[in-house]
Amino acid sequence: MAVREEVVAEHTAAGAPIRQSSLWRDAWRRYLRNRGAVLAAAVFVLLVLYCLIAPIASPYDPYEVDFSQAYQTPSWAHPLGSDQFGRDLLTRTALGGRISIGIGFGATIAILLIGVAYGAISGFVGGKLDDALMRFLDALYGLPYLPFAILTLAIFGTVNFWTMVVALSVASWFTAARIVRGQIITLKENDYVRAARAVGARWHRILLRHLLPNTLGVLIIAIFLELPGVILGEAFLSFIGLGINPPNASWGSMAQDGYQAYRVHPHIIVIPSVAIATLILCANFIADGLRDALDPRTRET
Amino acid sequence: MALLEVKNLHTHFFTREGVVRAVDGVDFELERGRTLGIVGESGCGKSVTALSIMGLIPKPPAKIVEGQVLFEGRDLTELDEGELEDVRGRHIAMIFQDPMTSLNPTLKIGTQLTETLRRHLGMSKDAARKRAIELLEEVHIPNAAARLDDYPHRYSGGMRQRVMIAGAIACNPKLLIADEPSTALDVTVQARILDLLEELRKAHDMAMILITHDMGVVAEAADEVAVMYAGQLVERAGVQDLFDRPEHPYTEALLGALPHVDEEHVRESRLTTIPGRPPNLVDPPEACRFGPRCPYASLNDSCTQVEPQLRELRKGHWVRSAHPASERAGVPAEVGA
Repeated sequence: MAVREEVVAEHTAAGAPIRQSSLWRDAWRRYLRNRGAVLAAAVFVLLVLYCLIAPIASPYDPYEVDFSQAYQTPSWAHPLGSDQFGRDLLTRTALGGRISIGIGFGATIAILLIGVAYGAISGFVGGKLDDALMRFLDALYGLPYLPFAILTLAIFGTVNFWTMVVALSVASWFTAARIVRGQIITLKENDYVRAARAVGARWHRILLRHLLPNTLGVLIIAIFLELPGVILGEAFLSFIGLGINPPNASWGSMAQDGYQAYRVHPHIIVIPSVAIATLILCANFIADGLRDALDPRTRET
Repeated sequence: MALLEVKNLHTHFFTREGVVRAVDGVDFELERGRTLGIVGESGCGKSVTALSIMGLIPKPPAKIVEGQVLFEGRDLTELDEGELEDVRGRHIAMIFQDPMTSLNPTLKIGTQLTETLRRHLGMSKDAARKRAIELLEEVHIPNAAARLDDYPHRYSGGMRQRVMIAGAIACNPKLLIADEPSTALDVTVQARILDLLEELRKAHDMAMILITHDMGVVAEAADEVAVMYAGQLVERAGVQDLFDRPEHPYTEALLGALPHVDEEHVRESRLTTIPGRPPNLVDPPEACRFGPRCPYASLNDSCTQVEPQLRELRKGHWVRSAHPASERAGVPAEVGA
């Protein structure tokens, strides 16, 4: 058939050598080109692995008190030294890292879940509801985040992993909601949304299938942008004694332990502080690399 | 009963600058299996008319303030969103101007095609996939089975429009609205897309509304033509009648503006244009919308005072003008009026 041959010609002229190159593969390639981000990701992964493995592999019990071993400086037996109760710091830092990083990711995910739900509904419905939700958000924006976290903990009355997650996300999801709302508003003007409606797609399908997946790139970036703030918040709360309490460890509470003896035994405060700083630096570099890799504006065609 | 009857349709946009009367008086009927071409310049309300029929106008700011859209006797303007969703894609389908942006870049072609089938016909995944392959073959996409799992960026503009068409005809709709389906494409691809539409229209026994500003496309594809100007339907007739004996001064001017290859001195002569510009639809002329640009406006005092109504001049030929061509025989146009 004549028409068919013409189409074949049109087809082969358009995209001759066929090489699979997906959106994510392109992004991955661009990410790899950013050396700082690759290094940061490697350090990040090592740090997480260390936190996961060290407490299992270590011969020391991170909770066992042994005053004969108190305030050891770094040695072969204790590579990072030990604290005032004689607990091995290499093991204990990993344990604190588990909690710090865990709370960090937990709160970040909570922030994004609330933010996505709020922002997506606001942007998708639009009109008066959008106005109302956004003005409400403007009012909430005035709330200081740490006092609110402290207040939330006070209301719960107990401090554990989950209450920390709630406390840290309760007053910090506003930016995420705004980002998602902006994205949804831009995306819903797309022709393919109208085209989907023209074939009878229901609203929830348009939102879940056509709009939210297109915000995924921004959300992945947002995870690593939110993470440093949340980890720092956790560390701060634990440092001032409102967060994770002994005998449990987080990097913030370990820094508090070190603070009490920092003149004589500075390594105890330095170690968790360096760990926090490294993690935050890595998250920032990763976010930067991801933004360059995933942001549509820098995307090459 | 006609398949589609649009009666006195008025769609207005309520904006900060005022009420934009984008569609302000459109009447037409479309029988089963026929093609209606809607022509007019940019901004005359062609697309808003189509979107109003589909119930796809952005609400707010737009609103259908008056009129009916009777599809098989059912008034679509009365339906709620859920009922409209059941009609869209199932009984009335629409394809849009720009195929490059009408497909979601993050979903496979197959996902987007099967969407309609699963939604309206309740097909299983496998059945929908099989049918999607058939559809791609029907719109002449080579190697259809393999191309189903490609993402849109691997399709050319012409192929994307074919995919859009495949999606539109998936549920055998009775009416297909094509809003400038070939405008965004290369000239060589344009003709093939239009041929394809005509082929499918016949095969599926669909009625079609073809929106375009290309008189050539209308002459070739349409059975009937509706000419729109400034939100109103100004003339409606069979395609042969309209091209042979245009009645409305605007239609005459449109046809006069077409380049004629067979004319003498075609290389030296300039193309004819219509002086002036279309009115602002926030505050259109009170009486005849075309009055300020009409070369015959001074003929009839009523032009500036009474809004002309659509009237049937002869069988099947409707016009909205106080002085259609056949009623002003022998009177010359005022040049530069």
